[in-house]
Amino acid sequence: MDLGLTLAVFGGALAVALGGSGSAIGIGLAGQAASGVMSEDPEKFGILLLLVALPGTQGIYGFLSTFLVFLKLGLTTATAAKPSTYQGWQILIACLPVGITGLVSAIHQGKVCASGVYMVAKQPKDLAKPLVLAALVETYAVLGLLITILLLNSIKL
Amino acid sequence: MGLARVEKVEILAHASLRTTLLSLLQKAGIVHLEEVRREEAGLRELEADVSRLDHLLHRLKRCLDFLSRREKKKLLDKIKATKPALSSRQREELLSSDYLPVLERVEKIEAEQNEILSHVRFLEKEMDFLQPLADLDLPGSWFKGSDAVEVAVGTLPLALKEDLARLAGEDAVWFEVVRAEKRICYLLLFYLKKEKNRIEEKLKEIEFAPIYLPEPLIASAGRDERVTDVIEKGRREVEARTEEIDALDREADAMMVHQDELARLHDALHNEREKAASARLLGATEKVLFLEGWIRADDVPGLKAALAPHEGECEIFIRPALAGEEPPVVLENPKAAEPFEVITRLYGLPGRGSLDPTLPLAPFFFVFVGLCVSEAGYGLVVALLSLLYIKYARPKGGVLQFFRLLFLLGISNIVLGTLVGGWFGFPVRRLALIDPIQDPLSFLILALVLGFVQVWFGTLLNLITQLKNKNYLQGIFVQGGWLLLLPALAAYFLTKQTLWGILALAGASGVVFFASPRRNPLARFFGGLYSLYDISRYLGDVLSYSRLLALGLATSVIAIVVNTLCQTALGIPLVGWLFAALIFIGGHIFNLAISFLGGFVHSMRLQFVEFFTKFFQAGGKPFKPFKLEGKYAEFV
Repeated sequence: MDLGLTLAVFGGALAVALGGSGSAIGIGLAGQAASGVMSEDPEKFGILLLLVALPGTQGIYGFLSTFLVFLKLGLTTATAAKPSTYQGWQILIACLPVGITGLVSAIHQGKVCASGVYMVAKQPKDLAKPLVLAALVETYAVLGLLITILLLNSIKL
Repeated sequence: MGLARVEKVEILAHASLRTTLLSLLQKAGIVHLEEVRREEAGLRELEADVSRLDHLLHRLKRCLDFLSRREKKKLLDKIKATKPALSSRQREELLSSDYLPVLERVEKIEAEQNEILSHVRFLEKEMDFLQPLADLDLPGSWFKGSDAVEVAVGTLPLALKEDLARLAGEDAVWFEVVRAEKRICYLLLFYLKKEKNRIEEKLKEIEFAPIYLPEPLIASAGRDERVTDVIEKGRREVEARTEEIDALDREADAMMVHQDELARLHDALHNEREKAASARLLGATEKVLFLEGWIRADDVPGLKAALAPHEGECEIFIRPALAGEEPPVVLENPKAAEPFEVITRLYGLPGRGSLDPTLPLAPFFFVFVGLCVSEAGYGLVVALLSLLYIKYARPKGGVLQFFRLLFLLGISNIVLGTLVGGWFGFPVRRLALIDPIQDPLSFLILALVLGFVQVWFGTLLNLITQLKNKNYLQGIFVQGGWLLLLPALAAYFLTKQTLWGILALAGASGVVFFASPRRNPLARFFGGLYSLYDISRYLGDVLSYSRLLALGLATSVIAIVVNTLCQTALGIPLVGWLFAALIFIGGHIFNLAISFLGGFVHSMRLQFVEFFTKFFQAGGKPFKPFKLEGKYAEFV
């Protein structure tokens, strides 16, 4: 495996690792809050699950970017592409937007969701509001994903 | 379109009509009651004592909870269960029936069971406590010690046994290991009473932890009963008590036949309570009752018909809302757009002077969720499941609307998924318009164009709202300016034709000269110039729609990942197909769930943040008619 391919694979690994770590922290925060609320009111499991699951999308965006890198490199097929060192750097850099925005936004989305959980505990009918607030945070992960996809798409191997 | 006409209703009636009038209104279920402003009119409040009913309802609720815990229904039956109908004659029969003995019987069973259960728990705890000492072959009476000798039981870390042996050598302490476990051993100790303090001090130093036997246990043990005897006695008692619980269980099972009746009674009583409580909203004089509320204009004849039998004793006045009054809001939309009211309600009902955003948002929401999920296969699954749920579970009200919305979103996905996505990760190339994986740029342009259309449309709705509220200058020049500026600017950047540039400048001048309400022409000009800065907000709003591409791609790619994994799994000899099937089903269910959650939430956000902010103001209060409502039964 030469340097170009190594860098590209490193980029793919970064995307899934950063996004996934962020999501893990975010879901962890929201999950703790939800368990606290459910200890008083177990019937809220269904609606709280939505809020807890929401910071999970960044991990999926990372995973999906990694998969796109794999497709690009042809790692799923028998003949892998041989990117030059520059192309390897390009792919690595293209993976950074989704990775970094995913990491940071998932953590903060987790915080918003956790406070949303407390809000739903007091106002069960207002589920839409915390969901929308959480979606506001997620926007930047979505934009990061978008740029990663566009960058990957524009790199010609 | 949008909002139903709601009018004020005022009723004057003879005081003797109080219960009849409220019953009739509750049965009709069309009037939203409002508290009468008694002080202005010099009316007095009616007394309504609901504490007796509240207490009874509380007992019933508890009783029903107890019975429902015993229910052994399967999930499917629970979904299919429909509320039984309850006619007004049945309701009266229920209310006049003698239900107290049944209620008391169930309460007694519950209370007795709880008491026995807590006793059993106490016994079990004690037995756990005694278990390690079971090998102690001493009569219970010995634990009390004698005049000269103190008897103690306790635990010691095994590692410190040597220290105890040394202590026993130095002082008058005799000990025996009753039972040795991995880390600790249970000990029986004898020492002299007169040296008690000193020895206990020393014992503490070597981490001896005394076990204090519960007094009642020692007291209850006969002179010659050993620890094993006490444990055995406890075990027998637990057995006997468990049998009692079983007997009570059978008795409770026999009471299950009353469950439905009690549930219906609960509903009937609940409505009696509501009726009684609603009297508090009324105003009264010695002989006359005064009632205020709101009614949909369409329901006025219904109200008149309902009160017709008492025409001589009451008078109904109907009038449109006055300027200072805020009538409650009823959304009224064509049947196809009705499910989208769910989205409007989640944000809030339209406030004063705002129009109902349901119809304008419906087509956008429909398309956006379709693009975000863009999976025809998932659409088919969701549409079928929601249809089945509606058919068999027969939901009502908000739940029914939600499932109808899900059905529509399923349809949207079948169409858009075929055009821009695939069926379970397999694109149908002949029908596909855009393949977002090969050609994300075209999809991005589609998303941004849709965003531009919605943002522009939102501004148009703002113009309409302004005109409706007689804000002509602001409406025509500012909103109209934006309406002209935005497309002209976009066209100018795309074509570079001067004509578009001129149109854009014309639109901008409308904003610059009329956006600021100030009188001073200079302040007005610069204020207007500043509000032109809003163009960055419009730009940001349109770019925000790029999420449609990202989310749509996410679904497609994950579906492809699932299918790729399936293919890999198929390579496993013999059981490959089984793994492949499991991965296919599990993977697609997972993807369906998260892409619908994401698609729904993000499409909703686009409505709330990008679209509603252009024209919509929430703050209306919902129209809640005073009516018969049942948790378990349905009133007919």
